[in-house]
Amino acid sequence: MEEKKYNQTNVLIVGAGPAGLACAIRLKHKNPHLDVCVIEKGLDLGNNNLSGAVLELESLKNLLDAACPGWEKTDDAKKILEQKIVADDFVFLTKKRSFGISPFIKLAKLLHLGTGQLIHQGDYSVSISMLTKWLGQIAKQMGVEVLCGFAASDILCDELQGNVNAVKLVDQGLDKDGNRQPNFVEGEKINADFFVLAEGNDGLISEKFIEKAGLKRRQQQLYSVGVKELYKVTPEQFKKFGSGRVVHSLGYPLWQPLIGPDMFGGGIIYAGNDDHISVGVIVGADWKYHNFNPQDALTLFKEHPFVKQLIEGGVVVEAGVKMIPEGGFCAIPKDPQTGSIGKNNCLILGDSAGFVNMLKIKGLHNAVNSGILAADAIVTNLDKPKLAARGYTELVNKSNIYKEMLSACTFRQTVAKFGPTFGIPLSVLGNLLPKFTVEKDYEAMTTASYDLKLPIDFDKNTFIALAGTHHREDQPSHLKIIDKEICRLKCTPKFKSPCITFCPAGVYETVSGEVKPANPSNCIHCKTCQRKCPFDNIRWTVPEGGGGPRYKRL
Amino acid sequence: MSNYIVLVKQVPDVSRITDNAFDPESGTLIRSRLVNVINDLDTQAFAFASQMKKMSGDNNGKIVCLSMGPPMAEEVLKYCLARSADIGILLTDKALGGADTCATANPLAFAVRKIVAEIFNGSNDYYILAGMQSVDGDTAQVPAQVAEELQISCLAYVTGVEFKNNRFEFKRIISDGSQIASVRKLPAVITVAKYEFPLFASFTGTRKADKAQLIRWGVDDIKATHIGVKGSKTSVIRVFPPGKSTRKCQHVTDAAKLADIILKSYAESSGSSESGDSHLSKYALPANRKNLISRTFETTIKENEDYKILANKLVSLGITDISKIDDAIKERIIQDSNGHFHKKSLEDVLAGCALTQPTFTGEVWVAAEHSNGGISPATLELIGKARELADSLQTKVGVCLVGSGVEGLCNELIVSGADNIYLVEHNLLNVFDPCCYRKAMSDCISKYWPQIVLFAATPQGRMLAPMVAYRTGCGLTADCTSLDIRDSSRKGQIAILLQTRPALGGNVMASICTRNSKSQMATARPGVMKKLAPDYSRKGNILKQSIDLTESDLSLDIIKTEQSQGSADFSAPVIVSGGKGMQNRDSYDRLVNKLCNALTIKLKTTVNKGASRAAVEHGFIDRPYQVGQTGTSVGPKIYIALGISGAIQHMIGIANAETIIAVNTDPNAPIFKQCDYYLVGHVEEVVPLLTESLKMGT
Repeated sequence: MEEKKYNQTNVLIVGAGPAGLACAIRLKHKNPHLDVCVIEKGLDLGNNNLSGAVLELESLKNLLDAACPGWEKTDDAKKILEQKIVADDFVFLTKKRSFGISPFIKLAKLLHLGTGQLIHQGDYSVSISMLTKWLGQIAKQMGVEVLCGFAASDILCDELQGNVNAVKLVDQGLDKDGNRQPNFVEGEKINADFFVLAEGNDGLISEKFIEKAGLKRRQQQLYSVGVKELYKVTPEQFKKFGSGRVVHSLGYPLWQPLIGPDMFGGGIIYAGNDDHISVGVIVGADWKYHNFNPQDALTLFKEHPFVKQLIEGGVVVEAGVKMIPEGGFCAIPKDPQTGSIGKNNCLILGDSAGFVNMLKIKGLHNAVNSGILAADAIVTNLDKPKLAARGYTELVNKSNIYKEMLSACTFRQTVAKFGPTFGIPLSVLGNLLPKFTVEKDYEAMTTASYDLKLPIDFDKNTFIALAGTHHREDQPSHLKIIDKEICRLKCTPKFKSPCITFCPAGVYETVSGEVKPANPSNCIHCKTCQRKCPFDNIRWTVPEGGGGPRYKRL
Repeated sequence: MSNYIVLVKQVPDVSRITDNAFDPESGTLIRSRLVNVINDLDTQAFAFASQMKKMSGDNNGKIVCLSMGPPMAEEVLKYCLARSADIGILLTDKALGGADTCATANPLAFAVRKIVAEIFNGSNDYYILAGMQSVDGDTAQVPAQVAEELQISCLAYVTGVEFKNNRFEFKRIISDGSQIASVRKLPAVITVAKYEFPLFASFTGTRKADKAQLIRWGVDDIKATHIGVKGSKTSVIRVFPPGKSTRKCQHVTDAAKLADIILKSYAESSGSSESGDSHLSKYALPANRKNLISRTFETTIKENEDYKILANKLVSLGITDISKIDDAIKERIIQDSNGHFHKKSLEDVLAGCALTQPTFTGEVWVAAEHSNGGISPATLELIGKARELADSLQTKVGVCLVGSGVEGLCNELIVSGADNIYLVEHNLLNVFDPCCYRKAMSDCISKYWPQIVLFAATPQGRMLAPMVAYRTGCGLTADCTSLDIRDSSRKGQIAILLQTRPALGGNVMASICTRNSKSQMATARPGVMKKLAPDYSRKGNILKQSIDLTESDLSLDIIKTEQSQGSADFSAPVIVSGGKGMQNRDSYDRLVNKLCNALTIKLKTTVNKGASRAAVEHGFIDRPYQVGQTGTSVGPKIYIALGISGAIQHMIGIANAETIIAVNTDPNAPIFKQCDYYLVGHVEEVVPLLTESLKMGT
């Protein structure tokens, strides 16, 4: 048998999330002869996937009706889609009380205002971790090579052609000080005709590629931090909450109009399978309080009487944190010349491209749809790899993704500019507003304090245990502080090193007077540090494959 | 050009046991509900083979991975193929199922022969690498028995290798220290106890492995002689949940509270550190019982009940002579038993009642272990147990003592409870060479056929016992925590040795009996059995044995032996152990001593110190202080683990501790799931606080 070149494939997809797997499934469906490889840094499918998550079924149908007929009748599909949303509540919380505001949202929908998109009835409350695992299994059955535990560290471009040549995997087997152990292996270079970047939010390779290929965003990306805990409650308690129910909240503990705090974001409470309830808080990463940690907001949220009664007696079984790209339409990275999302033979999908509709606070459907479109573009341009990114972008521009992103075009920036108190009402004007330029998230940091009192300190150790995070201990820290003098001379005196507080995994500590990523093996890959260090002084690089959290049903 | 065969096994992942893995009724762990993974030590053995190949600068050598198991075990071979193994071979056949270690080693050895013939072109220049033991069985028997079947050298408990003067020099653990040795001739079996650099999967290798066709062999391909249930020499009688697995696992948030807990736990401790040894009543032979129907020593509770019901029935019918039971009476018993008996089962039970003669005859033996001119404490403990067994069986305790110039040790054995010493001396036996020792011991056993032979589960005993058992064709049960004489009357077995041991990483207990063997063999962990107080008035016989040995019988070149300094005492009611988290020798000394002193003063008792394997490996303290499966098993009232992650081998070694307290920085440390109280924190910070609180505490 001819020795196949195993470091060569037709399509290499970086990231086995919903976008990457959708692309892989579509590719194999359209052309079973293609070699399609998906690499994933997590140890197993779904381990590094976290979301709310509310899914618009249409996107799955687009993908699977053709590729995998009869899919909806399988046990797995039924399990994943068990929670069809039948009750969709919106509440505003003050410190002690709650007010239902669903009628306003419904009214907004009737008036065709942007906020009307917040209606979720008819969608599904899903575990993205389980969804991803399932999609991965479908992909494997179709002949896609899904390789978990392989982390990419770099992307290599051909200077002359402008094409991407290879993705380089991370070096493995270095000790803490970077010395080679006996099992050291240099990261392999994987060549492909097409590269699909579907790493999720703030992807390491995606961002490297954006820089190398000279892609530009009209406005820089804005982020939110989402903290989520999964509760197992008693069947009675679950019944009380209601199967198929989702609750979104505004207000306390992030935003108390006029008296502060003054942060964008809200809370979520979603019904899950088997008497599980997801409780989370999403907060705009442009918070200004140097002592704020989103997990504190979650604690206060859970202590609020409205939430407390819903999860009474429940036990947290899993927990995690992720960031969400919220810049929307204006923050999609594009080639200045052609306007393509990606360039030549390299395409950027889903959260890596920033396809999150902030009016819906949903990106999952766009991720799946972008995967489908990317596959279609690749298949039609098989002999012209250079045209793939442009073909993909044309499809995106004709699709719902474009329409949605455009309709939510100014929402997040308006809020960022004016704060929730004025920004949210203003945003009703939607696209009539000018496109504000806003500062980067980390530039928003001030010496102001978040004053709400916590009943109990947040237990980060238990949190990371529930995230199941794991890294080989004896490897170099994958979190790098660029200039430690900045920490010592600027950040610590002025802001008292916020990374120590806001890192949800307690990675940062002061060790003998120096702020350090002292516990890199606790990292849950949320990348908040990279985007919220007030001096932009931290870089998240990739640890050895198989590292990171091990989410199962978040 | 050397080739390598790596034995790999698929095992249930005992480090990730979910609640639904336990049978709700019996509380027993159900193996099929666990996730399967490659045995961790086998990944290390595989990396070790790759390292050997790399070191020798020999690129032509092949690495062949061999596994035996159900079809799904191909996953472990794919693991290897994704990491540069050349060939993966799966030995899979229904007929191979239900095998004990003997019926596993035998087909593996036959597969090795086939590999040598067909893949290595008959070249004997190869090494067989294997993890020292598997995490599910923990027996460490298979590699040694493969070596025995193939009649080749075996070097066990290896932790490192160097390539010098064109040959490999292996570093390995021995019972009282470490040793550097090389094998005299190839082929040889090497078992790896620790190698910290498992290989990473490569992208190309993984893709290749996913598409690779594995070689599958069935029984017809290998023509093995002992396979499956039929070829096994032991059988599992009963599986049950361990008694002390219910650790409290309470999270304690500050050192002061922890100090209170230590004081309280100590005050409330039951006082006896009953170490898993049997507390059942002492066995009596049928001949010594009131009547033949009295059957209270059956191997299972159910059988005991059957006999009790029968006995009650016969008493109520006024029948005392079993031979007088006719069909009418049988019919009556069956009817009155409400379906408890049917005809066949009743006849079996009655037939059992008629039995009086023990199934095995002969003495109860202990294989002696010695070093530095002294008998190992583990041997004396076994003699204590052998004495008890021999007394119930009304036979003598024999000790097989193999060595050179060791006659002077006989007296110590006798005063400790031995009746007959079988002394095998030869100048080639002056150091422990497994091939010579197993020959000496096997010859001696085959001459006298004791009914029971006990070995200490030390690195030496765990190496020697499987070879001797295989050579003499006997069953062997490893690492027993309890040894009892029992009947299995219905199966026609009287006064057999019921060998109980933990399995699946201590998550279940299994009771095992020997079958198809002339002698029943078992190893027991040091510290589990109790030695008798020496009786200096005891008399015994020394029976000198002759043996033929030549230089060619030696299998190893011992290059250097490092005996650990002194021996550690673990008899105190409190033990403080340090692990890798202690960072270095200084902090180990400082922190452990500090806490020991504080506890000694506060509790007014002796406190011993111990260490995890990692701490010993990193040189924080000497080998004798190692607690755990490869070190010493301990059973104090309070065990305090500082900076110990809780590897399964360590946890097995402290399973008998009454209260386990753990301090570790890693909130995911496995030890937290198997201890009573834990505190997440750095030992450098916690220990001083804890010491202070202890001094202040009431």
